[in-house]
Amino acid sequence: MSGEAGLLERGRQEFERALQRNIKGLGYFTSPAPVLGASAKDVLIERGTLRLYHYRPLTDELYRVPVLLVMATTNRGYILDLTPGQSLVEYLLRRGYDVFMIDWEAPRPDEKTLDLASYVLDFLPSCVARVKQVTGEPDISVIGYCFGGVLALLWAALHPEAGLKNLATFTTPVDFSKMPLFAAWSDKRYFDVDRLVDTLGNCPPEMLSTAFDSLRPGGRLAANLRLADRMWDDEFVKAHRMIDRWSSDMLPLAGAYFRDTTQKLMWDNALLNKTMDVAGRPVDLDKITVPFLHVTAEHDHIVPTAASAPLIEMIGSVDKEHVTLKGGHVSLIGGPNAVRRMWPKLDEWLAEKSL
Amino acid sequence: MSERASTDPLAMMRAAVDQWEKLANEYGGQFLQRPETSEAMQKMTAGFLQMQKMTQDAMGKALAAANLPSRMDIEVLSGRLGAIEASLARIEAAGAPPPSSGVALPRPPRTRKPPLRP
Repeated sequence: MSGEAGLLERGRQEFERALQRNIKGLGYFTSPAPVLGASAKDVLIERGTLRLYHYRPLTDELYRVPVLLVMATTNRGYILDLTPGQSLVEYLLRRGYDVFMIDWEAPRPDEKTLDLASYVLDFLPSCVARVKQVTGEPDISVIGYCFGGVLALLWAALHPEAGLKNLATFTTPVDFSKMPLFAAWSDKRYFDVDRLVDTLGNCPPEMLSTAFDSLRPGGRLAANLRLADRMWDDEFVKAHRMIDRWSSDMLPLAGAYFRDTTQKLMWDNALLNKTMDVAGRPVDLDKITVPFLHVTAEHDHIVPTAASAPLIEMIGSVDKEHVTLKGGHVSLIGGPNAVRRMWPKLDEWLAEKSL
Repeated sequence: MSERASTDPLAMMRAAVDQWEKLANEYGGQFLQRPETSEAMQKMTAGFLQMQKMTQDAMGKALAAANLPSRMDIEVLSGRLGAIEASLARIEAAGAPPPSSGVALPRPPRTRKPPLRP
């Protein structure tokens, strides 16, 4: 009897879900995507591809040292500022930090000449100078996400006098040979990066998007099947839409910058081999001696732990920590895992160093 | 519990999707990482780039004959505007009022201390 009642209850539940799937499925295609990156902010620098944002404080008292987030050049910065309750920016603001972010717009066709040096020796120093000017503080904490971490590392190693107080990197690669698909696709025997840049100018986002999707060839279809199955679940659908929108919203890469990163990092693995230079200036990560936090994700399919883990040994700091947390490349910074694990860890590490 | 899951068609379908995704990622990933695949893909890209270049050259000539600016001409102009924009930004930044001037929005004091931890 109880078995039959259970079966009936299950049937009723599935019927209800099927009904909701149809109703909400229609809503999914007719409603606008959730608004992302909506924390109140001022634009301090708007120059070509570069944006520097200053977020409005949410507390009555701030930590002395400002925090500058450096976003990866392939994607939009709103992954760090999703919806309220799921925004790292909002979390930091509520914990009392003065938060700035370097974000990127799609480089214009004429910005194809921007190279790695433009980012490391011009954009980052300009933003740091502006943050110092606005806050009146002589020092700054920098947090880089993914390739934003690489830019932050290069900047930090080449600007020891810049007032860097703390440095954190999330899912930041240094051993590019341990990213097998990217290494195979940029194999210099077959990939003519000069020809691509000379012909197209900037590296188109579709090319990058295909490369990222190919890391999990079954991922997109399986995700869509799961979405159809769980269309009745508002929270699931909201999370799916946010992440799907962000991962589809890729940016082109400036031509010369793409050429530099391909040749120096993918081909020569110059960071790991300690042969890296920016505009002829040798980069020695051992010269970074400020407190350093390196966070990697256990199930990161884009930057596997093997590609990011060697970084901790390469940094010269005495006060340094490597933490591997559960989650993937994106969920590490913007999902339930992030809310539970990564954000509190970051706050715990940074608060006492921000006085 | 597991016996019940095995007779539930929807649970079976979900498990099948998980399994398919795992296999597709594993074998698809291996296939895409093979040097032969990479070589074939790059040959296709090279062909596409060659075609693109030929089209660009032909269009450039046609536009020049019609006395119209090409994309390259527009890019050069845009680049010069960008340089002016960058110079303006630097001038603006250099002349921006200091934060204590009272022009900017009032900011909270920078005196926060971390909470005491057990």
